Amino acid sequence: MKFVGKSVKRVDGVKKVTGTLKYVDDIKLSRMLYAAVKRSPHAHANIISINVEKARALKGVKEIITGDQFERRGGLYLEDKNFLAVGKARYRGEGVAAVCAETEEIAQNAVDLIEVEYEVLPAVTNAKEGMKPEAPLVHPDLGDYHWAPVFFPKPGTNISNHYKLRKGDAPEIFKEAEFVVENNFYVPHVQHVPIETHTAIAQMDADGYLTVWASCQSPYAVRQALSAAFDIPLNKLRVLSPAVGGGFGSKAGTTLEGIIIPFAMHAKGRPVKLTYSRQDEFENAYVRQGLHAAIKTAVNKEGKILAVQNEFIWDGGAYTEYGVNIAKAAGYASAGPYDIDNVWTDSYCVYTNHPVGGPYRGFGMSEIHFGIEQNLDIIAEKLGITPVEIRKINGMKPGGTTGTGEVVTVSGLMECLDQVVEDIKFYERSEPSSPTKVRGKGIACGWKAPSMPNNAASSAIIKLNEDGTAHLLVSAQDIGQGSDTVMTQIAAEVLSISPEKITIKTGDTDHTPYEWQTVASRITYSAGRAVYEACHDAMDQLLDLSQIKLGIFKRDLELRDGYVVSKIYPDKKVSISELALGLNFEDGSAIHGPIIGRGSFIPPNIRNADKKTGLGDHPVVFWTYGVQGVEVEVDLETGQTKVLKVASCFDVGRVVNPQLLEGQIEGAIVQGLGTALFEELMLKEGKVLNPSFVDYKIPTADDMPEMIIKFVENPEETGPFGARGVAEPAMVPSAPAIANAIYDATGIRLNTMPMTAEKVLAAMQAK
Amino acid sequence: MMKPFEYFRPTSLKEALALLNTYGEEATLLNGGTDLIVRMREGHSSPKAVIDIKHIEMLRKIKVTDSEITIGACVLLNDVGSHPVIRERVPFLAQAALSVGSKQVRNRATCIGNICNASPLADTATPLLALDAEVEIYGEAGVKRIPLKDFFVFVRKTVLKQNEIVTSISFNTNKDAKGIFEKMSRRKEVDLSTVCGTVFRGKDGYRVSMGAVAPTPIRLYKTEAYLDAHDLTEDVIQSACEVAVNEVSPISDIRASKAYRQELVHLILKHALSEWL
Repeated sequence: MKFVGKSVKRVDGVKKVTGTLKYVDDIKLSRMLYAAVKRSPHAHANIISINVEKARALKGVKEIITGDQFERRGGLYLEDKNFLAVGKARYRGEGVAAVCAETEEIAQNAVDLIEVEYEVLPAVTNAKEGMKPEAPLVHPDLGDYHWAPVFFPKPGTNISNHYKLRKGDAPEIFKEAEFVVENNFYVPHVQHVPIETHTAIAQMDADGYLTVWASCQSPYAVRQALSAAFDIPLNKLRVLSPAVGGGFGSKAGTTLEGIIIPFAMHAKGRPVKLTYSRQDEFENAYVRQGLHAAIKTAVNKEGKILAVQNEFIWDGGAYTEYGVNIAKAAGYASAGPYDIDNVWTDSYCVYTNHPVGGPYRGFGMSEIHFGIEQNLDIIAEKLGITPVEIRKINGMKPGGTTGTGEVVTVSGLMECLDQVVEDIKFYERSEPSSPTKVRGKGIACGWKAPSMPNNAASSAIIKLNEDGTAHLLVSAQDIGQGSDTVMTQIAAEVLSISPEKITIKTGDTDHTPYEWQTVASRITYSAGRAVYEACHDAMDQLLDLSQIKLGIFKRDLELRDGYVVSKIYPDKKVSISELALGLNFEDGSAIHGPIIGRGSFIPPNIRNADKKTGLGDHPVVFWTYGVQGVEVEVDLETGQTKVLKVASCFDVGRVVNPQLLEGQIEGAIVQGLGTALFEELMLKEGKVLNPSFVDYKIPTADDMPEMIIKFVENPEETGPFGARGVAEPAMVPSAPAIANAIYDATGIRLNTMPMTAEKVLAAMQAK
Repeated sequence: MMKPFEYFRPTSLKEALALLNTYGEEATLLNGGTDLIVRMREGHSSPKAVIDIKHIEMLRKIKVTDSEITIGACVLLNDVGSHPVIRERVPFLAQAALSVGSKQVRNRATCIGNICNASPLADTATPLLALDAEVEIYGEAGVKRIPLKDFFVFVRKTVLKQNEIVTSISFNTNKDAKGIFEKMSRRKEVDLSTVCGTVFRGKDGYRVSMGAVAPTPIRLYKTEAYLDAHDLTEDVIQSACEVAVNEVSPISDIRASKAYRQELVHLILKHALSEWL
């Protein structure tokens, strides 16, 4: 292959390194208005009254809205959310009113003048407490809400989804098992911290046609949500996402867009802008949900896992329109990448008065694997076998069955495990850098499937230009992962023209074709497949015309370096530039017209699982498997952990761009390291105590470990050139591998993240 | 959001003082601005007049004599950290200066700003306390010098009056004296101290100072007295650490618990003293 498998340079690289790429916040439109939001100081409170008179009197204030003007609820999977609070505020920071003004400063000053009277209610600040019958209800009207039929809310409680998986007969196995191990784990809330905060601009013209510029991962999903919320037909609503400065899931749905649209509707054509501060990002965008996990495992003395029973309690926050799917995804993945006959899982999404939980890179998976992979090491030690052996015995191999009962045809897990054991030199010890430090190694496996609706669709258009160049149109968003480059490479490969001859356009619902969402590690696979199909469609048209032109059967023609060439007589050829606008004949007539290739894709045969048992023969599109090994050095005096080395190996099906892929894996390792050692949204009575980088620490360049990154390529049957997704899975084993390495070094087992110096030291002293 | 303010750029101390007198409580001095601008943006400080002293030439110098070093009010932390004489005579001060924030922050932030901000965890405060540094203050009555240990009053509070300007900080140097600075933080780079400290040994005895263990950076006089009265042995180090732990009064906050901070005080002292065993 010419372009697939090569480290083609990023197509957006020059603009990014020169700082000239325009993000939404860089857009300056004439006569722009600015919005600001009045936020609840209480985690849970009825709104008694809102007095906007003083704010309205301020010079420069254009309009003030309150939640009760927009009572219609929305949401992706469960319609439980309003853009501004209606009736009561359910988290500290929830918007209760918004102001539109001539300047940001006036808007902010007006917000300060809004007087809100609250009746403070008892707050739910712990998901486990929130499940109890006596807990205050965050959504007393849950029974009236709409939800997708694959979710199971329990009206009259705070449970917004109870996912069940029942494979085999776990309770029976536990009665007779030789060894039963039970462990509890807690994973706190964390935040995505993209470099670019959320921002949006809305403008409505005199025809009622609305344009929204949003820093979002999924322009079509935003268009759909806004259309439903504001009754605007899709042909009168355009969403543009010109560039995104990092998403990690936080920009997957809609957050702030809905706040400015009511203003735009009344602003007589003037655009309205709202940009979140970093503090907003921590408090009022999405956060990763907290998780209480209880894992019970039955195992025989040879180390074969006979049964697992899991209880996952998710701290979903005030709204779980997205979070219900996190509980579901964690539930169907709850066996981990292991072949286990008996699985019993209850995964609960619970409303609390905490910031809104939402999708975060690999949602559900990093959280549950923190427990699964530590639990496995605990079992291995109990049985006197190595962490590698227990994973070899139970790890998923082709022919095995997943937790949902699906027979696995492709899994490179064992190859990945062997590679990582070799690269991290798992069985060797290295000398610590000082007598007061100790070193250890840990390993963890991980798996993940794209957590998306069965019919999540992609499409692509390729237009050939008369000089033999092309435009590729998709709505897959390059949020830093490099999808613009990968899509271009796939098109270049099929059309056999160099990537420099292709310009990719994305993120404009009026001009680029449908993409469900840029989430779920699905873009290379799904959008890539649509590009592949579109280019094959264009190729087909080119070959049709070439048959006539060259008088050679189509089956004997192929695309090669900008030409349609005879496979048998390579000197017989016609350039694609000559055919781009159709085929011209000697008499001056022409046929066909411009070559436009069209590609559409939905993953084939994904069917709903059984509602009662959660079992299904093909409930997800594919599983991505991988392994990470880690070496750490722990300071016995301070408790500080330094991650020295990480070896990673994933089965990606097919490497499309080695350099970009390595970048993705490196980013995932470092993000995993951050959550393992530093990151936690500290919450007290619903208040975020550390909503800034002063006290919410993420890794710096100094914290980077040495990284050894390898891949296994067992092709994905329906993926373009065999590729499958890996962006999220790559982060899944990072934190538990570090936890296992800390145990190896110190003999202490931490059941909560982050594993801060203070916690490690306290645990060592308590031992 | 930052409130509007008037900006002044005096070129002499006299001019700066006149502005302070004119605007009174509504004036604030701007030096590196790495604390002030954040506070103004977050609405914690809303001065009417911002008086930028960075263009007063005499405040930008480091003066060195055979026995004394004087750091001007507007000398950048990176310049303190890279100054050859400071690195040679008081390397622990250079190290402390370079432990503040990031390189970019240190290219704006000043050593005196770090002191005047009077954070309990000011990184350059402990080496300067251990050096018995003196702060030079310019005001209506002219110039006066006060010991740094008397300069701090409470969290973000100093003895400095509204119409006074710190012009420099000075300390004696002696080639027989040794000092060790250590900063403990959650993350090695770009983080605030969980605890920081300096342990110093001169011809007249020990000086020990710690940050983030009390409302201001403090000297640990009892610990010093204990050390002065004993010859250094492993047991003495252990006992000195116990004295130190009892002498500090850290709080529990989101960065660390009281107990962990006490642990770190113990470690900082132990690490330093063990070097001299």
